[in-house]
Amino acid sequence: MGLIPDFKKIATRSPWLYRINAGSCNGCDVEMAVTALIPRYDVERLGCQYCGSPKHADIVLISGPLTVRVKDAVLRLYEEIPEPKVTVAVGVCPISGGIFRESYAVLAPIDQYIPIDVNVPGCPPRPQAIIAGVAKAIEIWRERL
Amino acid sequence: MSNQIAILLAVLLFPGGVFALVFGLAMKGVDRRVAARLQSRVGPPLLQPFFDIIKLGFKRTMVPAAANQTVFLYTPLVGVISMLIAAALVPITSVYAPDAAIGNLLVLLYLLMIPGIVLMIAGSASGSPYGAIGFSREMALMIAYEGPLVLIAAAVAIRTGMGMGTWATFSLNDIIAYQQTHGAFLFDPVMWPAVAAFCFFYPANLGIVPFDIPEAETEVLEGPLLEYSGPVLALFKIMSALKKVVVLSLGIALFFPLAPEMMVGGLLVWLIKMAVLMLVGITAVRLSMGRMRIDQAFVFFLKWPLLLAVASLAVVVVV
Repeated sequence: MGLIPDFKKIATRSPWLYRINAGSCNGCDVEMAVTALIPRYDVERLGCQYCGSPKHADIVLISGPLTVRVKDAVLRLYEEIPEPKVTVAVGVCPISGGIFRESYAVLAPIDQYIPIDVNVPGCPPRPQAIIAGVAKAIEIWRERL
Repeated sequence: MSNQIAILLAVLLFPGGVFALVFGLAMKGVDRRVAARLQSRVGPPLLQPFFDIIKLGFKRTMVPAAANQTVFLYTPLVGVISMLIAAALVPITSVYAPDAAIGNLLVLLYLLMIPGIVLMIAGSASGSPYGAIGFSREMALMIAYEGPLVLIAAAVAIRTGMGMGTWATFSLNDIIAYQQTHGAFLFDPVMWPAVAAFCFFYPANLGIVPFDIPEAETEVLEGPLLEYSGPVLALFKIMSALKKVVVLSLGIALFFPLAPEMMVGGLLVWLIKMAVLMLVGITAVRLSMGRMRIDQAFVFFLKWPLLLAVASLAVVVVV
């Protein structure tokens, strides 16, 4: 019986990331790509791996204020991600709409539609902040496994 | 009866089963780590592939509404089982010799086709358009690389057979025994075209970068694997790890099986050969090349490896 918690602990060392762009201006997406790709911030050392398919994902990074037009697509993508999953909202847009707040085309805050576990504010957030957000998400994920 | 038990043990424990799985995943871990270091990154822990497999075990498996559930869930199992059996077929010099009833090159050729077919079936059973693209690309690539493989195998078999007084022998044990006494085929100029053709064949078979077209992550989002999640995806990862061990080990058995006549030394030499082949033949290649388009790869395979393989067969028969 003692093996299962051990395995769960090991399992949290393999968080696969998936990015959803919910109408972002691309600033946060550039920062996320940078955290993954450049040697200096290499997230692979945490065991992270960007995956192209939502079905492989564990931790979802959502950027953007959720525009009216992408809402259905984003909700469907979110449904496609298998449990247990953790959601990280990257940037200030998912929290309040950021510079797009009060626009008729924007549905922020995003947690009216999708449960958000970690908020990483910033416009755009620094790569270190995104990595800290992912690390926080890994802790939450461990409890859900 | 003792034969059957020995075969079963070979499939489940030593060259196949547990050993091949652990070794294959460890190779993948080293590969990722070295790749990261070559790109001056820190890279994942060496045991990362094991973590990934365990993690996938905790995830839910989702079956798309458009998929055929039975086929979707059980084809990867066929692939894993075929690779376990294949791993038990490849001899390791002076460590493991497969039972004469199964240690046959022709059987191995058929078993090596199964993972590709499994990917094709899985891709089309998932009902996803990306899976369908992966299906068609895998099929085109298989048509391109299976021909050279068969010709390489024939060249090796005929070379060994003529040396031993028959016209061809497909027994892997004989092929190794012949090279142990007459020198490795790697140093035999007559066999060089076959060696070169094999060097083109295995990246395509293993899906390594210049030829990872069916599963291209950035184009078709891992194609056939797109809709898979959880433990079933882990089965695919296990299948590809086993396949890596089988194909590299087959390359060693066909062209460079020389090893001392003792158990520990033989195993050590085999491990060193596998490590070198993996670092030079997989890590360095996949980092230094871009991905070909499927039409380029198809034309390439019908030009060079096929030409080399035909040439090697002709040279072997004539000389």
